[in-house]
Parts: sequence; C-alpha cells; structure tokens
Amino acid sequence: MPNRWDTAGTKRRTKRSAMENNNASSGERKLQCSDVSKCFELLEHILDGELVEGGNEMLQEKLDRCQPCFEHFHLEQAIREVLKTKCTKQPLPDKLAESIRQMIQDAR
Amino acid sequence: MSEVQRRKYSQEERTAIFDGEFMPHIDSMYNFAFRLTFDEDDAKDLVQDTYMKAFRFIQSFEQGTNAKAWLFRILKNSFINEYRKKSKKPATVDYQEVEAFYNSDDVDYQSTSDLRAESVKDMLGDEISNALNALAVDFRTVIILADLEEFSYEEMAKILDIPIGTVRSRLHRARNLLKDTLKGYAQSMGYGRDEEED
Repeated sequence: MPNRWDTAGTKRRTKRSAMENNNASSGERKLQCSDVSKCFELLEHILDGELVEGGNEMLQEKLDRCQPCFEHFHLEQAIREVLKTKCTKQPLPDKLAESIRQMIQDAR
Repeated sequence: MSEVQRRKYSQEERTAIFDGEFMPHIDSMYNFAFRLTFDEDDAKDLVQDTYMKAFRFIQSFEQGTNAKAWLFRILKNSFINEYRKKSKKPATVDYQEVEAFYNSDDVDYQSTSDLRAESVKDMLGDEISNALNALAVDFRTVIILADLEEFSYEEMAKILDIPIGTVRSRLHRARNLLKDTLKGYAQSMGYGRDEEED
C-alpha cells in the first residue's frame, strides 16, 4: 500500500515539475490575469466549440502567457472530457429499440 | 412551400426518416431520459413516448435539419409535461433556489474553485456521475446537452426554448456548481491544492 502512494506521489511531482519547466522555458507566463472575467468567458466559449473571431490566436496567446488562463483552460477541458467519457454509457435496456419499432409498426 | 412547415412524406419516406435519422439517436436519448428521471422504467417510457410523438408529428420535421436536436426537444417537453410530476426523485429540484439564479443573464467569469485538472482526471466515473446527478434538473440538463451531447449554444436555445444568453449563463452556473461538488470529492481524495505529500 505505501508503495502505491509513493508511486502516485512521484507521478504527481513529475507532472508538476514538467509544468514548471514548461513555464520556465516560455519564461513569462503571468501569475495574475488582468481580465479574468473576459478571458475565462472566451476560453469557455472556445471549449464549447463556439466560433470566436480570432479565437485560436487569442487562445494560444493566453495559454503561453497567462498562468490563470492556462490552469482554467485545462481544468475546464478535463471536466468536459470526463463528463463525455464517463456519463454517456447508460446501457440501453434490452428490446427497447425493438419495442419502439413494433409500436410504430402497429400505429401505421 | 407553405407557411406552416408541413411536409407530405410518403410511407416509405417516413420509414426511411424514422429508421435512418431518428433511431440512431436512441442511446443518447435513453441516457438523457435516465439522467432526467433516475429510473429505468420511467426513462424507457419517456423514450418510447418521444419516439411515438416523433412518428406522429414527422410532418413537422424538416429533412436535412438536426434530427437529434428535434428529438431532444420533444423528450425534454415530454419530461416537463408528464414525468417531472411523477419522477421518483424530484426532491433534488429546488426551484426557489434555481429561480434566484436566473434573475440575470450577466455572468461573472471568475476563478471559482481551486480544483486542479489532474484531480478531475483521476476521478472515477461514479463520482463524476453523482456530481452531475446532484445538480438541479435545469442545470443538469444544460450540462448534458453541452458536454455529453455536444450541442451548440444555438441548438440548446432551441431545445430548451430559452435565449442564447440564458443558455450561456445557465451553463456557466451549472459548471460552477459542478466544480464545487468535484472540489469536495477532490479534497476527500487527498488532492488538496498545495498538500501533495512527499
């Protein structure tokens, strides 16, 4: 058991230091966002697949330069992904499709 | 083309539309119905009713338009009109509270939680699912439409009969509520933000 935790801890630290390295290499990701409200709205609209004029360029700029935007984007993206992958698998009851086809047949 | 958007589909065309454009969405429809009713039998009835209505009103479906959005709209209306009353778990809907949220479409996009993407990715399906189910039905619905089914804001506005601005604000609030719940789970899993053990 302690082993498992150690491994997980190492994994998390690795992720974290990779992120820090990434920061260091771009060198200039701001720690404060000057317009959180506007930026987060933009990021969320882009994640929702809504067309935003000049959206891609702005997104890249935010992700490269702004730590709060970077974190918010990845959190929102992760939430959308887990919802999509983990909440869409309600198994269809046996014969539901069949009984619907039958009902339509009878209704004709 | 008449003003009343009615088509005259032949028997063959109706069958083709029903089988080719309606039936392929049955998994999504059932998932939506189940997440609204929390009950297998109610969800089954709701999906059956929806398909019956879709067949009966097939003349008002315009071929080439989004069949899935059209079906979801029928299902949502059937749920409101017939199932919400008898749904076995209606207590999660606190309308007073929900309505208080709707007074304005203005949304302040703030960093509302210190939840981390990594802890969300580590969560189990049950935790995500429970967090979604814990939302009041109107909030749950927008998340299902946007994130599970990937409808656009415009399609959601049509499905729900609300303005796009309301779709955006309701969705944003729904996500904030969801994040609050997930944050609680993350903390109980030991993923507090700055508490990584060595």
